[in-house]
Amino acid sequence: MDWTIFQFLVAPIVASLIIAGIHAYLGLHVVERGVIFVDLSLAQIASLGAAIAVWYGYEAGAPAIYWMSLAFTLLGAFVFAMIKGQDAHIPQEAIIGISYAVASAAVILTMSKASGEAEHLKDMLVGNILSVQWPEVWLTGAIYLAIGIFHWVFRKRFLEISIDAKAVAARGISVRFWDFLFYASFGLVVTRSVAIAGVLLVFCYLIVPSVGAMLWATRIGPRLAIGWVMGVLVSILGMYFSVVLDLPTGATIVCTFGVALIVMALLRPLVVRRAAQSGVIQAHGAVR
Amino acid sequence: MRLLTRTLMVAALVTVALARPQGFAALKVVTTTEDLASLAREVGGDKVQVDALAKGYQDPHFVDPKPSFILQVSRADLLIAVGRELEIGWLPPLITSSRNAKIQPGASGYLDASQNVRILEIPSGQITRAMGDVHPSGNPHYWLDPDNGRKIAASIRDKLSEMSPNDKAYFAQRYNDFDQKLAEAQKRWDATMAPFKGTKIVTYHRSWPNFMERFGLDVMGYVEPKPGIPPSPSHTLELIAEMKRLGVKLIVVEPYFDLKTPQAIANQVGGKVLILAPSVGGEKEATDYIHLFDYDVNLLASTLKQLGGK
Repeated sequence: MDWTIFQFLVAPIVASLIIAGIHAYLGLHVVERGVIFVDLSLAQIASLGAAIAVWYGYEAGAPAIYWMSLAFTLLGAFVFAMIKGQDAHIPQEAIIGISYAVASAAVILTMSKASGEAEHLKDMLVGNILSVQWPEVWLTGAIYLAIGIFHWVFRKRFLEISIDAKAVAARGISVRFWDFLFYASFGLVVTRSVAIAGVLLVFCYLIVPSVGAMLWATRIGPRLAIGWVMGVLVSILGMYFSVVLDLPTGATIVCTFGVALIVMALLRPLVVRRAAQSGVIQAHGAVR
Repeated sequence: MRLLTRTLMVAALVTVALARPQGFAALKVVTTTEDLASLAREVGGDKVQVDALAKGYQDPHFVDPKPSFILQVSRADLLIAVGRELEIGWLPPLITSSRNAKIQPGASGYLDASQNVRILEIPSGQITRAMGDVHPSGNPHYWLDPDNGRKIAASIRDKLSEMSPNDKAYFAQRYNDFDQKLAEAQKRWDATMAPFKGTKIVTYHRSWPNFMERFGLDVMGYVEPKPGIPPSPSHTLELIAEMKRLGVKLIVVEPYFDLKTPQAIANQVGGKVLILAPSVGGEKEATDYIHLFDYDVNLLASTLKQLGGK
């Protein structure tokens, strides 16, 4: 085991911890709302924005590409927020799936018409956690901190809408407006994370910790704590396996997430039974 | 006190041992592809220790970096890259992450192998969007021409001599040996391919312009409408019509592309799909630079013979 390698992995490790921090929180909302694939969909819509900017003739790395993908993300957020308000009996997940498929295909079409950069657009949009550099890490940390504070300030409002939107709407609060804020901030985070870590890894950071936490706890607080611990442990373990077995880092972390979830599911009877014995589970169950 | 000094000494020794795990002798050379690694071994002999990052069966445009890549680059004395934007998607962040000042682009330990070679498909004059997909610095698959291989080897010889002046004669001798070996092999390849001069073929990606130019084959079309873009129906139909019109029977595919579309086209025109190795290590037999051409040339010639005999 050659430990010197870890001195080069500090930036990726810090990046993965930052991503784990905010995604474990957002994941709770996403799972609660039942919009599991919204991150893939928003990321793809952002890619479409970038692809269109490239098609329009902007060079790789031009700020216009970033603003264009941001504009598309906000547009996507707007659409998702509007759909929930409708009373039509169309599941939101269906719209999200359709947006994903259409946006992905539109990226392929746009790239086939774009000149020059087409071959490398994929690398631009889908990052690799191993290649992340310090300036990116700091910028991402600052943006996520700002979004995290925003969500912390309005945590009650976001949470009650995620859990029971109808009850909130009955009180005369604009759910659409708050949904737009949620999807917009969420889209900002996901677009950045995907550019750093790639689609697969970001999906896992978002969904797996909150699903793992649901296995063990019912209340939001403990779930968040479990999600964070899981995100951090899996990041570090995945990074370690990737070094020891010399495997591509992102994919190794994804598989480590899978294994961790299986282990958590297997240990569930032990954890839940003990909690039930001390009466905790019933009390929390009543809260839900 | 004695214990402390002893501990410090041991610690110092361990640090020295750890800092120099491979000993002092050989120059550590890291190349992005196995083709460059093979050429560096030909020239460097036992004065260098060569490792390639991408494997020959991988698409060199898209390589998923592993932690060991950073470590290798961080310890390299010399990094040799194909250049011409081939590795643009994955190499630059690796170089930055390695924090190795010696091998940063522009530093003395960075060698762009494409400097003195013959590059094809360089757009002349002003590039406009109307020209479609144009690689501003030319086609990066230039190593598939033995004459370019010789020039790459010469660049490596010069670079190694500059880094290790005491071994200059050694590198010069090894280069001359390789030059001779390659020249003999080239006679063999040229003779094998001579009967097929002017034959029109189709390739999947634009990986083969240098190779086909060298052996006098004419690439009349590509399965990809543009580099990196999957085949579209209208392009495929046009290609089939054109192949039928010109009687083209052979489609050459790199090992990392999907065979469905090429196979469908081949069925339509009554032709054949042939997977050639674009890099050393792309096939079992393609163990070094010369064996790569042995493999490709023999396979191509025997396939063209079959098709011609029909």
